[in-house]
Amino acid sequence: MITFDHVSKHYAGHDGPGAVHDLSLEIPSGEIVVFVGPSGCGKTTSLKMINRLIEPTSGTISIDGEDTRKRDPNELRRSIGYVIQAIGLFPHRTVAENVATVPHLDHWDKQRIDTRVNELLELIGLPPRDYAKRLPAELSGGERQRVGVARALAVDPNIMLMDEPFGAIDPIARERLQNELLRLQQVVRKTIVFVTHDIDEAVKLGDRVALLSAGAKVEQYAPPAELLARPATPAVTAFLGEARLVRRLALIHLRDVRLQPVNGSAPKTTVAIGGTLRDALDAVLRSPDGTVAVVDGDRVAGVVDGTVIRLASQ
Amino acid sequence: MSVFRYIADNWDTLGPQIETHLFIVAISIALAAAIGLGLGVGAARSSWFGTVVLAVTSTLVTLPSFALFGLLSIWVGLGNPPVIVGLAMYALLPITRNTRAGIMAVDPAIVEAARGMGMSGRQLLTRVELPLAVPVILAGLRQATVLVVAIATVGATVGANDLGQPILAAIGRSTGTLDAVLAGIIPVAAIGILADLTLAALQRALSRGRVAVAAT
Repeated sequence: MITFDHVSKHYAGHDGPGAVHDLSLEIPSGEIVVFVGPSGCGKTTSLKMINRLIEPTSGTISIDGEDTRKRDPNELRRSIGYVIQAIGLFPHRTVAENVATVPHLDHWDKQRIDTRVNELLELIGLPPRDYAKRLPAELSGGERQRVGVARALAVDPNIMLMDEPFGAIDPIARERLQNELLRLQQVVRKTIVFVTHDIDEAVKLGDRVALLSAGAKVEQYAPPAELLARPATPAVTAFLGEARLVRRLALIHLRDVRLQPVNGSAPKTTVAIGGTLRDALDAVLRSPDGTVAVVDGDRVAGVVDGTVIRLASQ
Repeated sequence: MSVFRYIADNWDTLGPQIETHLFIVAISIALAAAIGLGLGVGAARSSWFGTVVLAVTSTLVTLPSFALFGLLSIWVGLGNPPVIVGLAMYALLPITRNTRAGIMAVDPAIVEAARGMGMSGRQLLTRVELPLAVPVILAGLRQATVLVVAIATVGATVGANDLGQPILAAIGRSTGTLDAVLAGIIPVAAIGILADLTLAALQRALSRGRVAVAAT
């Protein structure tokens, strides 16, 4: 668990972007917590105070009850995975050498490093046989960030800090990386602090979302479904925008929805039962008569229409 | 070409002069590299130190070599020593300037990632910044070497037995001046070109994945 206890960061002479005023927050172990908010709200400052790349002006940040100031900053950082938007791979080192950075700093023996690097490259879907010896310049943007994630995971840290890691990647690759992160999290179960300014990304990835306004003021700290259903303050409503209920549909799985029984012949338009209400809404809009069959393999599980979606979303 | 006959006829004196020339250049560049790397790293870390160092090393280059060698000979005596020290002073600027520029050109994202992964200042410098700056530093070393190979000839005026000697001896002579001057200049040019090509090849070989530098 990471605890912010009345943490502030002031910059001399001005009170501009990046400042943090009296932030108190608990980040439970094994969860993805997303800091989301407009640019300059202090979300990145807050993230970087966890691994002491930025030192707080006042207040305490502790990890599992231990004040981070009691630890050597470099040793602390080696124990926490760190992924940034610009990735920052070392261009003169191969993929394998990049991933081996922290194990190398921690003086692992060569055999152990090789085994770990291969394991990680397999995990992120870049087979070592094809990728280990490549240079970063020989990878696509999405592949580079996957290497960035593997590098951060190298010594199996309990905590990962991710600062807008997918922000500079094209939308299709970004969605794939988001899905991979969720899949990876099923396996590794890290405490992940993730910073983004993209509310859709926050809602998709976060077990909890902290919506921050200027000075890292916590407007609301809640699971995404609750955030979208019950915005706590006008600032949250404003940041979520008009489409918050449509966004929320993406969090409701069709398996959990009370469907209408099939009446006569099933509608021609279909949606898979593995999808969400958002997929169903899309299908309803495509359907000539506004009804859609929810299919589970060959079987029709039920029918969805506008009324079903509206009732299920409330 | 009578100059090659001249060189062949005078090989007994020219041979040792080439050797001395190479020795003076090698020692002065090694000295300047050792000091210049340190100054360049310091200059990249602190902006006021960088300003001072660049101002001083730039001023050194403006000193006339003839005067500098003469001045230095007061303290270190005649012969090779004042030439070695003086040439090292000239070589400082390109090496220091390029070391600083090479380190400062490293992408800030790479530095942030390195720090965020827990590298100490020294590890950051030796594992990331200097290796990435190598092509730029080598470019500075090339410039310094070419500069020093030529200026070393002036060392003959303070008694260094290098390739300045045949040139110096020829000045004011009524006959054979051209051959004697060329006998000094041709080996100097050959050394300069060879050193340049060697360092350029090294620069290209070490540029793998690093910032592209025009091989000029």
